Amino acid sequence: MNTQDFIESGVLESYLLGFATEEEQHEINQQILTSSEFSEYVVEFERNAQRYFLQNAVPPPPATREIIQLRASKTDIEKAGKHTYYDIPRTEQKKEEYLNVEVNDTYIKVHKWWRPAFIAVFVLSKVFLIAGLYYYFKSASQEKEIEKLRTEISLPRR
Amino acid sequence: MNELERLNDNSGHPSVAKQTGPMTSLEVYDKYGAMAYGIILQIIPQPNLAQEVLVNVFSSPLLQSCNSYPFTFAACVIKLARSKAVEAKRKLMTIGSFSADGVHKEQETTPELIFDLAFRQGFSPEEVAEKLNISKSDVLKAFHEFFKSFPHA
Repeated sequence: MNTQDFIESGVLESYLLGFATEEEQHEINQQILTSSEFSEYVVEFERNAQRYFLQNAVPPPPATREIIQLRASKTDIEKAGKHTYYDIPRTEQKKEEYLNVEVNDTYIKVHKWWRPAFIAVFVLSKVFLIAGLYYYFKSASQEKEIEKLRTEISLPRR
Repeated sequence: MNELERLNDNSGHPSVAKQTGPMTSLEVYDKYGAMAYGIILQIIPQPNLAQEVLVNVFSSPLLQSCNSYPFTFAACVIKLARSKAVEAKRKLMTIGSFSADGVHKEQETTPELIFDLAFRQGFSPEEVAEKLNISKSDVLKAFHEFFKSFPHA
């Protein structure tokens, strides 16, 4: 098939509309590489096609642009999230010091010194409890003893 | 520079160098948003739905592949806008809230009709050929005739 026949076959137009098969796409690429006539036609065709579609262009509402902007920035954040924190330069690390994260577990992490501190507090609380009970009962028995001695002293006077 | 790396900016110059850096989706939207919206409205004449499709086109990761597309960005946007709109139209047709135009059996098989069936109504060249009782190569030739018949400025 010569270049003119290939142009008139409409394969290029079919490619623009998204109908071309892989074989046809390959054929188009080959023609572009080998034929300057075809390359010139491609440029001219693209210009005409763009002109045709620009004739029917309708300005979209301004809100659409904002939605696209929001989606684009969301995609950028998602892409950034794929990198580890240490991949980010230090200047950017400072900007990202505070992140809104949702924590979904019930565990907390504490320093390792909290373990002996907790054991010491536990042991001391037991020691104070025992000591407290010991002195409580001791003072109670002493008071009873004093009461008993008072009654013994007061009885012979009668 | 490759002949195909010419970008048409409607300035009338035969060749304009393709942008060196890749374009962001917003830059593409600013340049071709109105054209894409016009294409989508031709396929889905419902503004709310068309706007949704337009957002999908310019948020699509496929748009970034246009940076390495062998043809101009405009050609890539035309192709992408059409495919997204046809996809949305097909979904609507399966739900049943949208009915395809009737088959144009009685009408003359002009390049305009063939282009309308394929581009606006979303039929493949094979389906158009079957509907109109012509060969697939005739359908493709009609595409060529359609763009050839378009008045040059």
